[in-house]
Amino acid sequence: MDKILRINMGNEGGPKASEEPLGDYAGLGGRGMTSAIVSKEVPPLCHPLGKDNKLVIAPGILSGSVAAQSGRVSVGCKSPLTGGIKEANSGGQGSQVLARLGYAALVLEGQPKDDTLYKIVINKDGVEIIADNSLKMMGNYDLIEKMKQEYGEKVACVSIGQAGEMKMAAATVAFTDMEQRPTRHAGRGGVGAVMGAKGVKVIILDDAEMPKRSPKDPEKFKKANKAFVKGLRKHPITGEGLPGFGTNILTNVINEAGALPTHNFQTGQFDGASKISGETQTEIMKARDGLVTHGCHRGCVIRCSGIYMDKEGKYLTKRPEYETVWAHGGNCGIDDMDAIAMLDRLDDDFGLDTIEMGATIGVAMEAGLAKFGDSDAAIDMVKEVGKGTSLGRILGSGAAVTGKVFGVERVPVVKGQALPAYDPRSVQGIGVTYATSTMGADHTAGYAVTANVLSVGGTVDPLKPEGQVELSRNLQIATAAVDATGMCLFIAFAILDQADTFNALLDLLSAFTGQECTADDVTALGKQILEYERDFNKRAGFTAQHDRLPDFFKTEKLSPHNITFEVKDEDLDQVFNW
Amino acid sequence: MENEKDHIQTVEILMTVKSDRISSFTQLLGQGFTIGARVGCTVMEFLCNLPGLDFNYIEQRVQTIFLNGKPVDDLNSAVILDGATLALSAAMPGLAGAILRRGGSYASMRHQISYKKELISDSVREGCVVLKLFNLVARELGPIFLNHGICVSGENLSGFFRKMPEDFWSGCRKVKKDGQTLEVNKLMQMDWQTENVLLKVHSR
Repeated sequence: MDKILRINMGNEGGPKASEEPLGDYAGLGGRGMTSAIVSKEVPPLCHPLGKDNKLVIAPGILSGSVAAQSGRVSVGCKSPLTGGIKEANSGGQGSQVLARLGYAALVLEGQPKDDTLYKIVINKDGVEIIADNSLKMMGNYDLIEKMKQEYGEKVACVSIGQAGEMKMAAATVAFTDMEQRPTRHAGRGGVGAVMGAKGVKVIILDDAEMPKRSPKDPEKFKKANKAFVKGLRKHPITGEGLPGFGTNILTNVINEAGALPTHNFQTGQFDGASKISGETQTEIMKARDGLVTHGCHRGCVIRCSGIYMDKEGKYLTKRPEYETVWAHGGNCGIDDMDAIAMLDRLDDDFGLDTIEMGATIGVAMEAGLAKFGDSDAAIDMVKEVGKGTSLGRILGSGAAVTGKVFGVERVPVVKGQALPAYDPRSVQGIGVTYATSTMGADHTAGYAVTANVLSVGGTVDPLKPEGQVELSRNLQIATAAVDATGMCLFIAFAILDQADTFNALLDLLSAFTGQECTADDVTALGKQILEYERDFNKRAGFTAQHDRLPDFFKTEKLSPHNITFEVKDEDLDQVFNW
Repeated sequence: MENEKDHIQTVEILMTVKSDRISSFTQLLGQGFTIGARVGCTVMEFLCNLPGLDFNYIEQRVQTIFLNGKPVDDLNSAVILDGATLALSAAMPGLAGAILRRGGSYASMRHQISYKKELISDSVREGCVVLKLFNLVARELGPIFLNHGICVSGENLSGFFRKMPEDFWSGCRKVKKDGQTLEVNKLMQMDWQTENVLLKVHSR
């Protein structure tokens, strides 16, 4: 992973690939790489769909090795949804394969001269850029099936569906999973629209005859990986909860806490929650001979995914995740698991962010386009997006645009991006992260290890209320660093609770890179990434006033606790004051 | 645990099912069921009196607890009253899961909704509590409670039976209603919109 592949889609005479050494970007990976390139090379005031924006796809520092959980990939650009910097993260096979091909980053640049659609094939022999208009307006599932016929079952694909081709702000970049299905998505911020604007439909990654990446200290690495895996397996969340019920294990608990945004954030509890809970979902999947425990990429030992069959026992989609079940479920008043699974399938096929689409449909329902709970209407709305009708174009632009078009006041977005599945009035510390994240409202922005492990900014007393801003800051720093490693964020629980597992992660990084890695190094990396992102956003016109939740969170009380968001603006402004 | 029959139920259903069908009842356990027990005591004391629970299990497994929808941090100071709802869960993923965990590092991030100790004059006595079991706790304690009997709303039970696939019913060996044998398929046709039902499930 010692080079960067740049493909200039606007080159005179047709798209052209070139390789270059890492230079100033040496040592970076994942979000560290994408945010560094975007911050340094993309003019912050450029149009996100124009020639000056760049789409950066970067495997993590450990991707391509045999380190457990190291298969996450980052996709970065200036976001068409937020207007700020964007890093969208995905599982799937793409990260491992791209890393084994030797690339620390793949950068799509420029703008094609016409509307020709391209596929890019990357293998041990080099890069081939092929015009292929037969792929136009194909859904991800049909597209990948076609690629399988042409390039075999072992390649990994990175693709866009119809939404990306139509440059919709809710469009994703899809990554194929272990079964070569397009179920993993860099979902947030409209990164698929930028890929569409570059005229690239699919990137085929073939690592045949390429070796796994080797650590500098193989013995130490092997020992650390073993300890790391052991730590993940013995922890009740990563070893039992997530493999048993998937991320949707959260639905019942968040609902009980009164933090499950329901009917477009009107209340905090959904009467139908138990019908769409992870527990119920698991029983449905078992009864239909689906797969309850399954990884999204090779090397995953947590295996929180699964395979969801329809009533006839045929494959429908992967196990819908908690955020998807919330967005299309409780947020829209839908308590039918099969309808939610169908919406997930359609989103994956068209290449749409499930969180943005669920939030958007919630806003549309509030506007009166359909009744809350009408699952057929929700499915029809997503199909409108896939077809690109006038209504579909509006919905595919996300919750903020839909709210404006239909005159809705309660629009749950920060920096134009829809809030995920936790109401910030009940869980106010998450609201701090939603408001201040460089990405727009993002539940993964402040996720990783505790302040009291990293001791960033001192130790925080967990039972005192004034710690929320400090905790959010530390979480955002730690998360940015984990996103750079290529590690799945779910490792956070084992790291949080088990000091030996945290040390095993540091040993993994040290053994792989040959440089001692300490908690201070992790903190410094996280801060550096956030500084890149904050700097870009500042130059793009963002101010402290953008680090705010929508007004209704401060004025409308949320049942059942009847509370509003109480964190003061001046406290929010201290999050990045380190 | 006292006999729920004296408190609330009007109908008793005894199901005998194949052992691998027991997990199908997790949805019901998550919706909540009523039990009769000693109330006016601390949550820890209350839990330690329930079948299948002891101090070690509570400390190690039951990492997330809600009393009337409020996350509880100190089980030895929170007091459970007659008519309360208590939800039990294992440790949860995600930042939200970490925040909701009792006494966890992120508890301050939800302090607005946390259970706060109240001055209570109630003495220890018999009462009723709605218990909800989630995820791993439901999987581990569910068979014990189902075997003993849980009191559920007829509406929830009707909705649950209507959603069950053919595979579930094929694993039901025997059904009795108030001691009388009932054909299995009759359960699906029961209209329990208003009644409470004492449901006992034995596995074989």
